Amino acid sequence: MHVTEEEMIGQVYGEGNWAAVERHLDDCPECAEAFAKLQRDLAEVDQVVAPARDAQYGERVWAAIADSLPVYAREKKKRWWESGLYKGLSYATACALLVACAFYAGQLWEQHKQPGIAAVKQMPVPQQTKQQPIVVVVLGDHLDRSERFLVQLKHADLDSTAMASPMRDEARSLLAANKVCRKNAAQSDDKELTTALDHLDSLLADAANTPGGLNSQSIARLQDEMNREGVLFEVRVLRSRVTHRAGTGDIPAKGGTI
Amino acid sequence: MFRMDKNDHAAIQAVLAGDKDAYGALVVRHSHILFRVAYRITGNEADADDVVQEAFLRGYRKLEGFESRANFGTWIYRIAVHCALDKVQHRRRVEANLAGRVGDTNDPELDQLQVADQAAGPDRLLLSGEIGSMQEAALHSLTATERTAFVLRHMEDRTTAEIGAALGIEPNAAKQAVFRAVRKLRRRLAPLRVAT
Repeated sequence: MHVTEEEMIGQVYGEGNWAAVERHLDDCPECAEAFAKLQRDLAEVDQVVAPARDAQYGERVWAAIADSLPVYAREKKKRWWESGLYKGLSYATACALLVACAFYAGQLWEQHKQPGIAAVKQMPVPQQTKQQPIVVVVLGDHLDRSERFLVQLKHADLDSTAMASPMRDEARSLLAANKVCRKNAAQSDDKELTTALDHLDSLLADAANTPGGLNSQSIARLQDEMNREGVLFEVRVLRSRVTHRAGTGDIPAKGGTI
Repeated sequence: MFRMDKNDHAAIQAVLAGDKDAYGALVVRHSHILFRVAYRITGNEADADDVVQEAFLRGYRKLEGFESRANFGTWIYRIAVHCALDKVQHRRRVEANLAGRVGDTNDPELDQLQVADQAAGPDRLLLSGEIGSMQEAALHSLTATERTAFVLRHMEDRTTAEIGAALGIEPNAAKQAVFRAVRKLRRRLAPLRVAT
Protein backbone atom coordinates (compact mmCIF):
# COMPACT_ATOMS: atom_id res chain seq x y z
CA MET A 1 0.00 0.00 0.00
CA HIS A 2 1.58 3.25 -1.16
CA VAL A 3 1.55 6.61 0.55
CA THR A 4 -1.16 8.99 -0.66
CA GLU A 5 -0.44 12.49 -1.91
CA GLU A 6 -2.20 13.87 1.12
CA GLU A 7 0.08 11.89 3.43
CA MET A 8 3.11 13.08 1.49
CA ILE A 9 2.03 16.70 1.81
CA GLY A 10 1.59 16.15 5.55
CA GLN A 11 5.04 14.62 5.62
CA VAL A 12 6.54 17.72 3.99
CA TYR A 13 5.04 19.93 6.68
CA GLY A 14 5.70 17.49 9.53
CA GLU A 15 2.06 16.65 10.16
CA GLY A 16 0.17 13.36 10.39
CA ASN A 17 1.78 9.95 10.98
CA TRP A 18 5.23 11.20 10.20
CA ALA A 19 7.27 8.16 11.40
CA ALA A 20 5.16 5.54 9.55
CA VAL A 21 5.31 7.51 6.28
CA GLU A 22 9.07 7.89 6.60
CA ARG A 23 9.52 4.15 7.08
CA HIS A 24 7.46 3.47 3.98
CA LEU A 25 9.45 5.95 1.94
CA ASP A 26 12.64 4.14 2.95
CA ASP A 27 11.24 0.85 1.73
CA CYS A 28 9.34 1.99 -1.37
CA PRO A 29 11.41 3.60 -4.20
CA GLU A 30 8.26 4.52 -6.13
CA CYS A 31 6.83 6.54 -3.24
CA ALA A 32 10.24 7.97 -2.44
CA GLU A 33 10.51 9.29 -6.00
CA ALA A 34 7.02 10.80 -5.82
CA PHE A 35 7.89 12.41 -2.50
CA ALA A 36 11.10 13.90 -3.93
CA LYS A 37 9.11 15.30 -6.83
CA LEU A 38 6.66 16.90 -4.44
CA GLN A 39 9.46 18.52 -2.49
CA ARG A 40 10.94 19.95 -5.71
CA ASP A 41 7.60 21.39 -6.76
CA LEU A 42 7.06 23.08 -3.41
CA ALA A 43 10.62 24.35 -3.37
CA GLU A 44 9.94 26.26 -6.56
CA VAL A 45 7.11 28.13 -4.86
CA ASP A 46 9.57 29.34 -2.29
CA GLN A 47 10.97 31.68 -4.90
CA VAL A 48 8.11 34.09 -4.25
CA VAL A 49 9.77 36.65 -2.01
CA ALA A 50 8.23 39.80 -0.65
CA PRO A 51 9.96 43.02 -1.75
CA ALA A 52 12.12 44.63 0.92
CA ARG A 53 10.90 47.67 2.81
CA ASP A 54 13.33 50.20 4.23
CA ALA A 55 13.77 51.03 7.91
CA GLN A 56 11.42 54.02 7.68
CA TYR A 57 8.56 51.95 6.38
CA GLY A 58 6.86 51.66 9.76
CA GLU A 59 7.08 55.40 10.32
CA ARG A 60 5.50 56.04 6.94
CA VAL A 61 2.66 53.68 7.79
CA TRP A 62 2.16 55.51 11.07
CA ALA A 63 2.22 58.88 9.36
CA ALA A 64 -0.42 57.66 6.92
CA ILE A 65 -2.90 56.53 9.56
CA ALA A 66 -2.16 58.71 12.58
CA ASP A 67 -4.52 61.53 11.63
CA SER A 68 -7.48 59.21 11.21
CA LEU A 69 -7.17 57.66 14.67
CA PRO A 70 -9.29 59.06 17.49
CA VAL A 71 -7.83 59.54 20.95
CA TYR A 72 -9.03 57.10 23.58
CA ALA A 73 -10.77 58.96 26.38
CA ARG A 74 -8.69 59.22 29.53
CA GLU A 75 -10.19 57.55 32.57
CA LYS A 76 -11.64 60.20 34.86
CA LYS A 77 -11.45 60.00 38.61
CA LYS A 78 -14.90 59.60 40.00
CA ARG A 79 -16.09 62.40 42.22
CA TRP A 80 -18.08 61.73 45.36
CA TRP A 81 -21.40 62.52 43.70
CA GLU A 82 -20.62 59.99 40.98
CA SER A 83 -20.18 57.20 43.50
CA GLY A 84 -22.57 54.29 43.73
CA LEU A 85 -23.69 55.19 47.27
CA TYR A 86 -24.69 58.70 46.27
CA LYS A 87 -26.55 57.41 43.24
CA GLY A 88 -28.36 54.86 45.41
CA LEU A 89 -29.43 57.51 47.89
CA SER A 90 -30.59 59.72 45.08
CA TYR A 91 -32.75 56.98 43.66
CA ALA A 92 -34.21 56.22 47.11
CA THR A 93 -35.05 59.88 47.71
CA ALA A 94 -36.63 60.20 44.32
CA CYS A 95 -38.77 57.13 44.96
CA ALA A 96 -39.89 58.47 48.36
CA LEU A 97 -40.86 61.81 46.82
CA LEU A 98 -42.78 60.04 44.12
CA VAL A 99 -44.74 57.98 46.64
CA ALA A 100 -45.53 61.10 48.73
CA CYS A 101 -46.74 62.99 45.68
CA ALA A 102 -48.89 60.05 44.61
CA PHE A 103 -50.44 59.87 48.10
CA TYR A 104 -51.19 63.60 48.16
CA ALA A 105 -52.61 63.49 44.66
CA GLY A 106 -54.82 60.59 45.66
CA GLN A 107 -56.24 62.57 48.57
CA LEU A 108 -56.96 65.54 46.36
CA TRP A 109 -58.62 63.28 43.87
CA GLU A 110 -60.89 61.74 46.51
CA GLN A 111 -61.97 65.20 47.68
CA HIS A 112 -62.59 66.22 44.11
CA LYS A 113 -64.73 63.15 43.52
CA GLN A 114 -66.94 63.70 46.66
CA PRO A 115 -67.54 67.46 46.93
CA GLY A 116 -71.02 67.03 48.56
CA ILE A 117 -69.70 64.97 51.41
CA ALA A 118 -66.82 67.30 51.90
CA ALA A 119 -69.12 70.31 51.97
CA VAL A 120 -71.41 68.71 54.53
CA LYS A 121 -68.45 67.87 56.69
CA GLN A 122 -67.26 71.43 56.53
CA MET A 123 -70.64 73.03 57.26
CA PRO A 124 -70.79 74.75 60.66
CA VAL A 125 -73.10 73.16 63.17
CA PRO A 126 -75.94 75.51 64.22
CA GLN A 127 -75.49 76.94 67.67
CA GLN A 128 -78.89 75.74 68.87
CA THR A 129 -78.32 72.13 67.95
CA LYS A 130 -75.04 72.22 69.79
CA GLN A 131 -76.84 73.04 73.01
CA GLN A 132 -79.86 70.69 72.74
CA PRO A 133 -80.10 67.13 71.53
CA ILE A 134 -82.26 66.73 68.53
CA VAL A 135 -85.21 64.43 69.01
CA VAL A 136 -87.38 63.91 66.07
CA VAL A 137 -90.68 62.39 66.81
CA VAL A 138 -93.01 61.42 64.13
CA LEU A 139 -96.43 62.32 65.54
CA GLY A 140 -98.27 60.04 63.15
CA ASP A 141 -96.10 57.08 64.08
CA HIS A 142 -96.53 57.89 67.76
CA LEU A 143 -100.29 57.93 67.42
CA ASP A 144 -100.23 54.67 65.49
CA ARG A 145 -98.18 52.97 68.16
CA SER A 146 -100.37 54.44 70.86
CA GLU A 147 -103.53 53.22 69.14
CA ARG A 148 -102.11 49.70 68.89
CA PHE A 149 -101.14 49.81 72.55
CA LEU A 150 -104.61 50.94 73.58
CA VAL A 151 -106.28 48.30 71.46
CA GLN A 152 -104.03 45.68 73.02
CA LEU A 153 -104.88 47.03 76.45
CA LYS A 154 -108.59 47.02 75.70
CA HIS A 155 -108.57 43.38 74.67
CA ALA A 156 -106.06 42.18 77.21
CA ASP A 157 -106.87 38.83 78.88
CA LEU A 158 -107.30 39.52 82.56
CA ASP A 159 -106.56 35.89 83.47
CA SER A 160 -103.19 35.84 81.78
CA THR A 161 -100.22 37.96 82.70
CA ALA A 162 -98.06 36.83 79.79
CA MET A 163 -98.34 40.19 78.05
CA ALA A 164 -98.00 42.23 81.22
CA SER A 165 -94.30 42.83 80.99
CA PRO A 166 -94.12 43.68 77.23
CA MET A 167 -97.04 46.06 77.63
CA ARG A 168 -95.34 47.86 80.48
CA ASP A 169 -92.16 48.26 78.41
CA GLU A 170 -94.17 49.57 75.49
CA ALA A 171 -95.96 51.97 77.82
CA ARG A 172 -92.65 53.36 79.04
CA SER A 173 -91.40 53.84 75.49
CA LEU A 174 -94.59 55.56 74.43
CA LEU A 175 -94.55 57.73 77.55
CA ALA A 176 -91.20 59.24 76.60
CA ALA A 177 -92.33 59.95 73.06
CA ASN A 178 -95.61 61.32 74.26
CA LYS A 179 -93.87 63.90 76.44
CA VAL A 180 -92.10 65.24 73.38
CA CYS A 181 -95.32 65.44 71.42
CA ARG A 182 -97.10 67.15 74.32
CA LYS A 183 -94.45 69.80 74.63
CA ASN A 184 -94.46 70.45 70.93
CA ALA A 185 -98.25 70.64 70.91
CA ALA A 186 -98.17 73.10 73.80
CA GLN A 187 -95.67 75.29 71.96
CA SER A 188 -97.79 75.25 68.83
CA ASP A 189 -100.86 76.12 70.92
CA ASP A 190 -102.84 73.11 69.64
CA LYS A 191 -105.27 72.64 72.56
CA GLU A 192 -107.15 69.69 71.13
CA LEU A 193 -103.93 67.79 70.57
CA THR A 194 -102.58 68.85 73.94
CA THR A 195 -105.67 67.62 75.78
CA ALA A 196 -105.67 64.29 74.02
CA LEU A 197 -101.96 63.79 74.65
CA ASP A 198 -102.52 64.70 78.35
CA HIS A 199 -105.07 61.95 78.68
CA LEU A 200 -102.75 59.54 76.90
CA ASP A 201 -99.90 60.63 79.14
CA SER A 202 -101.86 59.90 82.29
CA LEU A 203 -102.81 56.45 81.05
CA LEU A 204 -99.30 55.58 79.87
CA ALA A 205 -97.82 56.82 83.16
CA ASP A 206 -100.15 54.53 85.11
CA ALA A 207 -99.29 51.56 82.86
CA ALA A 208 -95.56 52.22 83.03
CA ASN A 209 -95.31 52.93 86.73
CA THR A 210 -97.87 50.68 88.38
CA PRO A 211 -96.30 49.39 91.59
CA GLY A 212 -95.71 45.63 91.34
CA GLY A 213 -96.15 45.62 87.57
CA LEU A 214 -99.23 45.02 85.48
CA ASN A 215 -101.65 42.43 86.70
CA SER A 216 -105.32 41.65 86.20
CA GLN A 217 -106.41 44.34 88.63
CA SER A 218 -104.22 47.07 87.27
CA ILE A 219 -105.13 46.14 83.69
CA ALA A 220 -108.81 46.26 84.60
CA ARG A 221 -108.29 49.63 86.19
CA LEU A 222 -106.47 50.91 83.13
CA GLN A 223 -109.21 49.59 80.86
CA ASP A 224 -111.76 51.41 82.94
CA GLU A 225 -109.76 54.63 82.85
CA MET A 226 -109.19 54.34 79.07
CA ASN A 227 -112.92 53.86 78.47
CA ARG A 228 -113.85 56.60 80.84
CA GLU A 229 -111.60 59.17 79.27
CA GLY A 230 -112.29 57.99 75.74
CA VAL A 231 -108.54 57.92 75.10
CA LEU A 232 -108.66 55.40 72.28
CA PHE A 233 -111.30 57.45 70.49
CA GLU A 234 -109.27 60.64 70.84
CA VAL A 235 -106.13 58.96 69.55
CA ARG A 236 -107.95 57.62 66.50
CA VAL A 237 -109.43 61.06 65.74
CA LEU A 238 -106.04 62.71 66.07
CA ARG A 239 -104.36 60.09 63.92
CA SER A 240 -106.86 60.56 61.12
CA ARG A 241 -106.50 64.32 61.42
CA VAL A 242 -102.73 64.19 61.34
CA THR A 243 -102.80 61.85 58.37
CA HIS A 244 -105.11 64.22 56.53
CA ARG A 245 -103.13 67.36 57.31
CA ALA A 246 -99.87 65.67 56.45
CA GLY A 247 -101.39 64.77 53.09
CA THR A 248 -102.39 68.42 52.48
CA GLY A 249 -99.06 69.74 53.71
CA ASP A 250 -100.44 71.76 56.61
CA ILE A 251 -98.19 70.13 59.14
CA PRO A 252 -94.98 68.26 58.71
CA ALA A 253 -95.09 64.53 59.03
CA LYS A 254 -92.52 64.81 61.73
CA GLY A 255 -93.97 65.85 65.02
CA GLY A 256 -91.56 68.17 66.71
CA THR A 257 -88.15 68.88 68.06
CA ILE A 258 -86.73 69.71 71.40
CA MET B 1 7.02 33.09 16.81
CA PHE B 2 6.13 36.39 18.44
CA ARG B 3 7.30 37.41 21.87
CA MET B 4 5.13 39.72 23.89
CA ASP B 5 7.37 42.69 24.31
CA LYS B 6 6.98 44.59 27.54
CA ASN B 7 7.18 47.68 25.42
CA ASP B 8 4.12 46.48 23.48
CA HIS B 9 2.13 46.13 26.67
CA ALA B 10 3.23 49.52 27.95
CA ALA B 11 2.42 51.13 24.65
CA ILE B 12 -1.06 49.62 24.63
CA GLN B 13 -1.73 50.91 28.14
CA ALA B 14 -0.53 54.33 27.12
CA VAL B 15 -2.79 54.36 24.07
CA LEU B 16 -5.81 53.34 26.12
CA ALA B 17 -4.93 56.06 28.62
CA GLY B 18 -5.20 58.66 25.87
CA ASP B 19 -1.70 58.76 24.40
CA LYS B 20 -2.44 58.12 20.74
CA ASP B 21 1.18 58.55 19.65
CA ALA B 22 2.19 55.50 21.67
CA TYR B 23 0.51 53.42 18.98
CA GLY B 24 3.14 54.69 16.55
CA ALA B 25 5.77 52.59 18.29
CA LEU B 26 3.67 49.47 17.77
CA VAL B 27 3.18 50.33 14.11
CA VAL B 28 6.89 50.82 13.53
CA ARG B 29 7.74 47.63 15.36
CA HIS B 30 5.36 45.30 13.50
CA SER B 31 4.94 46.87 10.05
CA HIS B 32 7.58 44.79 8.27
CA ILE B 33 6.17 41.47 9.36
CA LEU B 34 2.69 42.52 8.36
CA PHE B 35 3.87 43.73 4.99
CA ARG B 36 5.61 40.44 4.29
CA VAL B 37 2.56 38.26 4.97
CA ALA B 38 0.27 40.76 3.27
CA TYR B 39 2.37 40.68 0.13
CA ARG B 40 2.53 36.90 0.08
CA ILE B 41 -1.24 36.65 0.35
CA THR B 42 -2.14 39.44 -2.04
CA GLY B 43 0.81 39.11 -4.42
CA ASN B 44 0.78 42.86 -4.94
CA GLU B 45 2.84 45.60 -3.28
CA ALA B 46 0.18 48.26 -3.36
CA ASP B 47 -2.41 45.90 -1.96
CA ALA B 48 0.04 44.80 0.71
CA ASP B 49 0.64 48.41 1.76
CA ASP B 50 -3.11 48.95 1.98
CA VAL B 51 -3.47 45.81 4.04
CA VAL B 52 -0.80 46.94 6.51
CA GLN B 53 -2.52 50.27 7.06
CA GLU B 54 -5.97 48.72 7.30
CA ALA B 55 -4.72 46.15 9.80
CA PHE B 56 -3.28 48.80 12.10
CA LEU B 57 -6.44 50.88 11.81
CA ARG B 58 -8.64 47.91 12.75
CA GLY B 59 -6.26 47.02 15.54
CA TYR B 60 -6.48 50.50 16.99
CA ARG B 61 -10.28 50.44 16.98
CA LYS B 62 -10.33 47.02 18.66
CA LEU B 63 -7.55 47.78 21.11
CA GLU B 64 -9.95 48.04 24.07
CA GLY B 65 -10.92 44.40 23.47
CA PHE B 66 -7.31 43.24 23.34
CA GLU B 67 -6.51 40.94 26.25
CA SER B 68 -3.40 42.03 28.08
CA ARG B 69 -2.16 38.45 28.40
CA ALA B 70 -2.24 37.95 24.61
CA ASN B 71 0.61 38.71 22.27
CA PHE B 72 0.10 41.90 20.33
CA GLY B 73 2.27 40.66 17.46
CA THR B 74 0.17 37.51 17.00
CA TRP B 75 -3.01 39.49 17.41
CA ILE B 76 -2.19 42.15 14.82
CA TYR B 77 -0.80 39.43 12.51
CA ARG B 78 -4.18 37.69 12.49
CA ILE B 79 -5.90 40.96 11.76
CA ALA B 80 -3.54 41.51 8.85
CA VAL B 81 -4.29 38.04 7.48
CA HIS B 82 -8.01 38.84 7.64
CA CYS B 83 -7.44 42.14 5.88
CA ALA B 84 -5.35 40.47 3.18
CA LEU B 85 -7.97 37.79 2.66
CA ASP B 86 -10.63 40.47 2.34
CA LYS B 87 -8.43 42.31 -0.13
CA VAL B 88 -7.95 39.26 -2.34
CA GLN B 89 -11.62 38.39 -2.27
CA HIS B 90 -12.59 41.96 -3.09
CA ARG B 91 -10.10 42.15 -5.93
CA ARG B 92 -11.39 38.92 -7.41
CA ARG B 93 -14.97 40.11 -7.23
CA VAL B 94 -13.95 43.26 -9.09
CA GLU B 95 -12.13 41.18 -11.68
CA ALA B 96 -15.14 38.92 -12.08
CA ASN B 97 -17.46 41.90 -12.53
CA LEU B 98 -15.04 43.46 -15.00
CA ALA B 99 -14.86 40.20 -16.94
CA GLY B 100 -18.65 40.10 -17.04
CA ARG B 101 -18.86 43.64 -18.37
CA VAL B 102 -16.12 42.94 -20.91
CA GLY B 103 -18.11 40.04 -22.25
CA ASP B 104 -20.96 42.44 -22.93
CA THR B 105 -18.92 44.98 -24.90
CA ASN B 106 -17.14 45.15 -28.23
CA ASP B 107 -14.04 46.90 -26.88
CA PRO B 108 -11.02 44.94 -28.25
CA GLU B 109 -8.75 46.08 -25.39
CA LEU B 110 -11.14 44.81 -22.80
CA ASP B 111 -11.61 41.61 -24.74
CA GLN B 112 -7.86 41.13 -24.79
CA LEU B 113 -7.72 41.70 -21.04
CA GLN B 114 -10.49 39.18 -20.58
CA VAL B 115 -8.66 36.56 -22.63
CA ALA B 116 -5.41 37.19 -20.80
CA ASP B 117 -7.14 36.84 -17.46
CA GLN B 118 -9.07 33.71 -18.25
CA ALA B 119 -6.65 31.78 -20.44
CA ALA B 120 -3.64 31.51 -18.21
CA GLY B 121 -1.49 29.43 -20.51
CA PRO B 122 2.19 29.01 -19.50
CA ASP B 123 3.61 30.77 -22.56
CA ARG B 124 1.32 33.75 -22.12
CA LEU B 125 2.00 34.04 -18.42
CA LEU B 126 5.75 33.96 -18.89
CA LEU B 127 5.39 36.97 -21.14
CA SER B 128 3.16 38.83 -18.77
CA GLY B 129 4.91 41.65 -16.95
CA GLU B 130 1.93 42.13 -14.68
CA ILE B 131 1.97 38.77 -13.00
CA GLY B 132 5.71 38.32 -13.23
CA SER B 133 6.24 34.65 -12.67
CA MET B 134 4.73 31.26 -13.19
CA GLN B 135 4.61 30.66 -9.48
CA GLU B 136 2.67 33.80 -8.88
CA ALA B 137 0.26 32.78 -11.60
CA ALA B 138 -0.14 29.42 -9.96
CA LEU B 139 -0.86 31.07 -6.63
CA HIS B 140 -3.29 33.37 -8.36
CA SER B 141 -5.26 30.34 -9.50
CA LEU B 142 -6.05 29.37 -5.92
CA THR B 143 -9.08 30.55 -4.06
CA ALA B 144 -8.47 33.30 -1.53
CA THR B 145 -8.75 30.90 1.37
CA GLU B 146 -6.52 28.27 -0.28
CA ARG B 147 -3.89 30.84 -1.12
CA THR B 148 -3.91 32.29 2.37
CA ALA B 149 -3.75 28.85 3.99
CA PHE B 150 -0.91 27.82 1.72
CA VAL B 151 1.07 31.01 2.29
CA LEU B 152 0.71 30.69 6.06
CA ARG B 153 1.69 27.01 6.00
CA HIS B 154 4.39 26.99 3.35
CA MET B 155 5.95 30.43 3.66
CA GLU B 156 5.08 31.65 7.13
CA ASP B 157 5.58 28.23 8.73
CA ARG B 158 2.33 28.39 10.68
CA THR B 159 0.67 25.30 12.08
CA THR B 160 -2.77 24.28 10.88
CA ALA B 161 -4.16 25.35 14.25
CA GLU B 162 -2.73 28.84 13.82
CA ILE B 163 -3.99 28.98 10.26
CA GLY B 164 -7.45 27.95 11.39
CA ALA B 165 -7.42 30.64 14.07
CA ALA B 166 -6.27 33.28 11.62
CA LEU B 167 -8.88 32.35 9.03
CA GLY B 168 -11.64 31.69 11.53
CA ILE B 169 -12.05 28.04 10.47
CA GLU B 170 -11.44 24.64 12.07
CA PRO B 171 -7.86 23.30 11.98
CA ASN B 172 -8.92 20.33 9.85
CA ALA B 173 -10.55 22.67 7.36
CA ALA B 174 -7.33 24.66 7.28
CA LYS B 175 -5.38 21.45 6.65
CA GLN B 176 -7.66 20.49 3.75
CA ALA B 177 -7.29 23.97 2.30
CA VAL B 178 -3.49 23.53 2.33
CA PHE B 179 -3.78 20.13 0.63
CA ARG B 180 -6.06 21.47 -2.09
CA ALA B 181 -3.69 24.39 -2.66
CA VAL B 182 -0.68 22.11 -3.08
CA ARG B 183 -2.47 19.86 -5.57
CA LYS B 184 -3.60 22.84 -7.64
CA LEU B 185 -0.15 24.40 -7.59
CA ARG B 186 1.51 21.20 -8.74
CA ARG B 187 -0.90 20.87 -11.63
CA ARG B 188 -0.30 24.51 -12.62
CA LEU B 189 3.45 24.21 -12.32
CA ALA B 190 3.73 20.90 -14.20
CA PRO B 191 4.01 22.53 -17.68
CA LEU B 192 6.80 24.76 -16.42
CA ARG B 193 8.85 21.73 -15.35
CA VAL B 194 8.34 20.09 -18.73
CA ALA B 195 9.52 23.25 -20.47
CA THR B 196 12.66 23.51 -18.39
